[in-house]
Amino acid sequence: MIVNGKQKIWSEYQKEIPDDHYFYVRSCIRQNFFPASEKTFLDIVRNKLNLDFFETEHHTTCGGIAYHSDTIPQETLMTIVARQFALMTESGYKNYVASCITSFGIYTETLETWQHFPEFEEKIRENLWKATKREFNKPEYLAHASDVIYKLRDKIAARAKHRLINKFTGEPLRVVEHIGCHYSKMFPSKGVGGAEYPYVLTGMIEAWGGEIIDYPERRHCCGFGFRQYLVQANRGYSLSNTHKKFESMQPFKPDMIITNCPGCPYFLDRWQYVIAEMEGKTYGENSQGIPVFTYEEVAGLVLGYDPWDLGLQVHQTDVEPLLDKMGIEYNKADKYKI
Amino acid sequence: MGKLFDKLMEDYRFREGSNACINCGTCTAICPAAEFYKYDPRIITYTVQSKDDAEIEALLKSETIWYCGECMSCVSRCPRKNAPGLIIMALRSLSIDLGYFIESEKGRQQYALSKAVCGNILKYGYCVYPRTFKHKAHPESGTVGKWIEDNLEAVHKRLGSNLDGDGPGILRKIPQKDLDELKTIFDITGATARLDNVEKISLKKAQEMGLSQEEYLEHIFTKTEIDHH
Amino acid sequence: MSKDVLVIGGGPAGLEAANQLKILGYKAYIVEKSEKLGGHLAKWDRLFPESISASETLDKLLKPINDISVFLNSEIVSVNGTDGSFSVLLSNNITLSVSSIIVATGFSLFHAEKKEEYGYGIYDRVITSVDLENYFKKHSDNRIINPKKIGFVHCVGSRDEKVCNRQCSKVCCVTAIKQACEVKEIFPQSEVYCFYMDLRMYGRYYEDLYLEAQSKYGIRFIRGRVSEVSEDENGKLVVKAEDTLSSKPLKVTLDLLVLMVGMVKNDDNESISNLLNIRVGEDGFFKTANPILRSTEGDSQGIFFAGASTGPKTLPETINEAKATVLSMHNYLSKQV
Repeated sequence: MIVNGKQKIWSEYQKEIPDDHYFYVRSCIRQNFFPASEKTFLDIVRNKLNLDFFETEHHTTCGGIAYHSDTIPQETLMTIVARQFALMTESGYKNYVASCITSFGIYTETLETWQHFPEFEEKIRENLWKATKREFNKPEYLAHASDVIYKLRDKIAARAKHRLINKFTGEPLRVVEHIGCHYSKMFPSKGVGGAEYPYVLTGMIEAWGGEIIDYPERRHCCGFGFRQYLVQANRGYSLSNTHKKFESMQPFKPDMIITNCPGCPYFLDRWQYVIAEMEGKTYGENSQGIPVFTYEEVAGLVLGYDPWDLGLQVHQTDVEPLLDKMGIEYNKADKYKI
Repeated sequence: MGKLFDKLMEDYRFREGSNACINCGTCTAICPAAEFYKYDPRIITYTVQSKDDAEIEALLKSETIWYCGECMSCVSRCPRKNAPGLIIMALRSLSIDLGYFIESEKGRQQYALSKAVCGNILKYGYCVYPRTFKHKAHPESGTVGKWIEDNLEAVHKRLGSNLDGDGPGILRKIPQKDLDELKTIFDITGATARLDNVEKISLKKAQEMGLSQEEYLEHIFTKTEIDHH
Repeated sequence: MSKDVLVIGGGPAGLEAANQLKILGYKAYIVEKSEKLGGHLAKWDRLFPESISASETLDKLLKPINDISVFLNSEIVSVNGTDGSFSVLLSNNITLSVSSIIVATGFSLFHAEKKEEYGYGIYDRVITSVDLENYFKKHSDNRIINPKKIGFVHCVGSRDEKVCNRQCSKVCCVTAIKQACEVKEIFPQSEVYCFYMDLRMYGRYYEDLYLEAQSKYGIRFIRGRVSEVSEDENGKLVVKAEDTLSSKPLKVTLDLLVLMVGMVKNDDNESISNLLNIRVGEDGFFKTANPILRSTEGDSQGIFFAGASTGPKTLPETINEAKATVLSMHNYLSKQV
């Protein structure tokens, strides 16, 4: 592999990401399954880096999962989006950051659709006024929370208590990066690094000392598929796609997986458990799984947060093998203390 | 011009996603659904392009349009800038609004989806909500999923959530006024109408099948009686 | 009327035009921006469909014009046209006074890195058709090590809205089949696949080449554009496409992948069009006075075209066109007296 071939492509897809004064909206999935990740994100940007990230309790789901499960029409989705933008405008913010990748996808899709069809934007403004008497400005900048951490990665590296190095071998940890499909597949120019070689997570890993692994199914969807998971009868689809990724990455012996979508780590984590139960197969060393992390969790580990404060105890696939490799100290007895 | 094609053209997603297919197959080549289901996004795009009413109607009533996972990988590859994923979304919307979804096994699942996801949105303001995410319906959430369910408040407190609490925070109680605004948005943009329509048609089907509402929901949520692979 | 004529471009079109000009008694000046004559032909090994030697062909084009003024490493700086003549300043500070200009600037090859999903410049064993042709000439390339499975990807950078090149590049299909047969001659134990969209075998004896590829060389043809290329743990390439004729997605592991890069406009076409007061079409190639009846003439007086400067062409078409261009120019100048 010729690494500077990738660097040439990355240089074509740079985003000018603001690093401060953001209106923050939460992710349904992240709040449900990785709540400590959102807590960590805000702690890092607000308390460690003294930046202005604002949240109002009046914001709701963006409706993305409902939209991609075809339960609500496009007009409904866009009016909900407009309402969120109105809350941003009313709070005096111009930069909008979403915690969820599906959200980022539908916000981008909404803004692009309005650009191509201005009459649709007009209609949505009317809808919002009729329904809520609210008005909105479009965000000046739309980011995903991983874009922000990417932008701040060197500041985080400067404060690192641990680096992504395997203390037993002295070598960088071998990291698989998994990007949520809705980050850049629809609009490659909106994602750092584009659709084929996205750089948003690679940049973090490189800044924090790890080594990124490329493998054939790197770009493949984790298989969430919305209705393909939410309806029990369809779950084979979701499992099969994750299974395909693990079969492909195993020969490269990854130490860990980092993700930026909230759903993907849930699937990459839980389906390993299901595969182990159904077939007795595991993909990590010593008959263990490959630990899966959100990028907030990795940033938190690098900064020296306690693993159980980061919510790593709510992963099904054990993270301890990776913690040991990084030389992070943790108290086993505290893992499930509540 | 076919009437169904005209209806599709009213959907902005269709207008964005339908740009003259040349049958190159790059979409099918990387489609996750094409690998595991009897599904070929290229054929769907090409079929819709024909504007043939009979073909499109058959598609709207088929299992085929329900196989897509809406990952949009197809969009990243098409050399004509088509978006089979968006075309599928337009087809699904039309199938639901015309009531054709009821003709296929995968289409009938729509009722369970609509009830669950929109139920969460209108009651709690989230698409997914921990108290309605039952381990029994999601055994794959694992032993840790069971532990979380059995200790919901304590676990969320430990992890920094504001579960059902006032003010901002993780899984806060979203104020009723905001939920009311969502309901109004649903009402005036056609989401409520769609939900009601899906329910009406589904309950009629349940009756035909001799099932109660609960039995019908259980049936569509768990049963597969056709070979989709 | 001056007998001096400027030929911009020292590739096959420019060389043949210069030769025809000399025969008719004109004085030709060739201005070539690179360091040598021959254009893309200089990089080639064998020409389709009958495997004629490219270097011998180039020699035949160069020999008759070895007494013609050639300015290498030179470009046009400015052009002033008055009363049927042009005063042209070159980057080497020489000024030429000519009665007409023949634009034989040719084409560029598509930069394969732009088709990111194919991994050119990232995965070691992905090469272009130009790289392969060079291998045929020089017999060495450290990316080509006894490949057992070889793939050819048609339409790279052509017929592709994503990279903003709508045009078909005309010659890649027959070149792919030519190269597939040639590579099979060198590696007879290998399996060779062509991933195509349509097989454009329009020329004389092209279908014969296609038949030979199938019956003599056993080349396998799969109708489906390649969607994605990646690398497995052994450095081999994993290629995904759909076999559209049987509607099945497929994945093959190959040792070598050859990208048939298309013909695209030169980046300096826009600036040349400004200098000469001519226009470019939507595809970036130059516009002619009439695409049917006057396709060697520009829509400005005294400007003529030969070769791929007006769109993808085969080599015999280019040579013939250069002859036709000089005749058009000669007819035009004869009327100017």
